[in-house]
Amino acid sequence: MLLPRFDYQRPRDLSEALGLLAQAGDQARPLAGGTDLLVNLKLGKVTCRLVVDLDGVAELKDVSGPGEAPSLGALLSAAWLAKQAGGLGLMGLAEAGGVLGSPQVRNRATIGGNLCTARPAGDLCTALLALDARVVLAGASGRRELPVEQFITGPGLTAIAPGEILLAARPAPGATAGGSAFEKLGLRRTMEIALVSAAVWVQSEADGRTVKAARVALGAVGPTPLLARAAATALVGRPAGTEAFAAAAQAAAEAARPIDDHRGSAEYRRQMVAVLTRRALERAWSRALEATA
Amino acid sequence: MNKLALTLNVNGQDYDLLCEPSRTLAQALREDLGLTGTKVGCGVGDCGACTVLVDGQTVNSCLVLATQAAGKAIVTIEGLADGPKLHPIQEAFVEHGAIQCGFCSPGMILSAKALLDANPAPSELEIRQGLSGNLCRCTGYQKIVQAVDSAARTLRGERTVG
Repeated sequence: MLLPRFDYQRPRDLSEALGLLAQAGDQARPLAGGTDLLVNLKLGKVTCRLVVDLDGVAELKDVSGPGEAPSLGALLSAAWLAKQAGGLGLMGLAEAGGVLGSPQVRNRATIGGNLCTARPAGDLCTALLALDARVVLAGASGRRELPVEQFITGPGLTAIAPGEILLAARPAPGATAGGSAFEKLGLRRTMEIALVSAAVWVQSEADGRTVKAARVALGAVGPTPLLARAAATALVGRPAGTEAFAAAAQAAAEAARPIDDHRGSAEYRRQMVAVLTRRALERAWSRALEATA
Repeated sequence: MNKLALTLNVNGQDYDLLCEPSRTLAQALREDLGLTGTKVGCGVGDCGACTVLVDGQTVNSCLVLATQAAGKAIVTIEGLADGPKLHPIQEAFVEHGAIQCGFCSPGMILSAKALLDANPAPSELEIRQGLSGNLCRCTGYQKIVQAVDSAARTLRGERTVG
């Protein structure tokens, strides 16, 4: 399958990249890992005259240092997350990075690409939603930040404006004070799009028993990754354990808005939301205790 | 469209190319350099037949522009053997009957190499996960998994190839 012809530029810094995008308008597309853009160009789903390769913009690979609020440059790959995000206290994101696509795709696919592609099943999108992450966008008129929940507006749709570049994803500054986990169910164990996924984040009170704060995000059971607020409400202030996790899992299943399709029924997906949420909570809670200790 | 002048380092050798920006690494390897060991199957990153190593990491070369690989160390299946002596992973594929039509073999073997470079003693599940981006329509995978396990033992010095 051949790519259509296009011009190519590899800017060396952000202002050059923004200038190229502004100049070419809707005829230009930024290129990160290429695992979506190049496929869509080949299939004719996207057309453009200019590809702006962001690989030379060093800022897009920046990572926050130890002790800083976590910030992950848009060009970091899923494989990088799988290896490194755990060390930053973001295990849920590491788990999501480790099960995205195939090894070859993980080596190329990026945080920024997964967010901008905005699929309802997007593994990194769902994991970042649970971490209360914000995206940092840069455009000709400056920078702005949006919560992931507001950034992804529909299946394949985002709030990014023409000419803007997604610079980084920033989990909430307090994200590393809790524990997170990601669960994905597919028809196969690997190289799979989620049939259902659940990403959770929990924080323990100093007593090591009571849930202080929680977030539960669900993938592939709505037009966008969904935040199940009722599931978090079912946890906060209660002692962590089987009972609270079961209540949260039930609330998550009720919050899901799954559809029937050729890969699974809505009813099956809803039931699996409860199972995955419970499993993710059990793992995240043990990590939360480590983070509190 | 402006053509790009670039240098690809493939299997330790530099090649100067003049190519369209939209040329993929797979096309450049096969059509410009004549290295047809790299196969192209689906063209959209699903089958893994075009897998090569770029700076030691597997990529689908059908989803990488040639220009994106400039300045990096590219290894194709042609770079694995030491002269007439096959790499232990290649030997194991032959020995175990892990090759039938052979179309997936170059990509499969390079994925196995990346796996074993990172994890010299993988479990069966880890081997299957490591090869999950490579489709084979002939073997049913079992012989491939056995070949990779056998190659791992050879590379660890636990067995010698006859």
